[in-house]
Amino acid sequence: MSGETLPLALPLSRLATRTREATNLYRELRKPLLRYLVCLGLNADEAQDAVQDAFLSLQRHLAAGGSQENIRSWLFRVAHNGARNRQTSYQRRFGAPLDAEVESSLVNQITPEHAVLEKEKFRRLRNAVRLLTESERECLLLRAGGLRYREIGEVLGMATSTVGDTVERAIKKLAEKCHV
Amino acid sequence: MCEFCGKLVAWLDRELGENDAAAMERHLAGCAECRERLAAYEQASTVFDAYCEAAFAAEARRASKPRWVVAACAAGAIAAAAALALILILPRARVAETPRPAAPQAPQAGGTAAPQVAAHTEVPRTVRSTDTALEATRPSALAAPTRRLQHNASNLAASAAPTSPARASAIPSEPPIEIAIPADAMFPPGAVPPGMTFTADLTISAEGSPERLRLHPRLAGFERRANQP
Repeated sequence: MSGETLPLALPLSRLATRTREATNLYRELRKPLLRYLVCLGLNADEAQDAVQDAFLSLQRHLAAGGSQENIRSWLFRVAHNGARNRQTSYQRRFGAPLDAEVESSLVNQITPEHAVLEKEKFRRLRNAVRLLTESERECLLLRAGGLRYREIGEVLGMATSTVGDTVERAIKKLAEKCHV
Repeated sequence: MCEFCGKLVAWLDRELGENDAAAMERHLAGCAECRERLAAYEQASTVFDAYCEAAFAAEARRASKPRWVVAACAAGAIAAAAALALILILPRARVAETPRPAAPQAPQAGGTAAPQVAAHTEVPRTVRSTDTALEATRPSALAAPTRRLQHNASNLAASAAPTSPARASAIPSEPPIEIAIPADAMFPPGAVPPGMTFTADLTISAEGSPERLRLHPRLAGFERRANQP
């Protein structure tokens, strides 16, 4: 008799399956979530906390038999709301001057000539991003995280068509101001 | 501006339906302006993604910096503060000790002032020498994190400075607690010579619980000295 046929083992096996699913989701989405939160302005520790809280909520959600549809946007939404709640310096990432750390990462990655060009691009971009509205910035960040327009709409509570218009407008602004 | 201009990003993101995407591709084949716009949008999008990645990598690197580096910075800050204190204090002491040479040096005040002015002017000169469009921004961009690091280090130094001496001096500065217990209270009458007392040497651990109790017998003649702090 296998363990799965025991009455008490059935919920456990279901839980194990859901735990496996959650683990796979964690592997897949941890970095995009962290990146999104850091770019919103959280520091690494705050972002880690927010991501852990989001996955804890996911575990509870799945254990309670919650819907498994659109779980990606569900996670981003929970993380986004968590970030909103805990963040005191919202959007500081793009408001702050270009970090020496960011600059040094450029210098390490490419040749000095390219580094100068990339730095200039980044400076223009940072100035252009300041001109974006909050929803435009969030849409672009979620888009950079690989989310579809429908998913972005679910995270931010917007219609898919509105997301499309917002992304189009934001990219146009960046392209015009960056002159890249 | 054509009707397809507003859907270029959506096409780039593969968000258009099959029919709309096909129409867009047909249009792009014949519209140079839209192709140019598309290239600009694509590049802006790439730069934005790259900036996000660089910002994330920088934050991750900052967070993963080993703590001993911070500790070393704090130690360096303390050493620098000590050195600065010495530099500030020592010349005053010398001036106070040797007031006489001040008078003969007074006529040379103009001579000594000149190198000072020259030293001051050297600072902006070195800054001006890097006054190109790129270099002018570099010091300010690099100065901010350095300043932040100094703040961190000084904060650490400030927080560590009062605690470490306090911790070091906590044990010796605590007055010893001595409890004199009459021998009659512990032994049956007549078992201990009269006038004999015991001093309890009580060690209390950091969390407040008694750690060790040692009784020292004291003769009456030495009682007063043992009780004195």
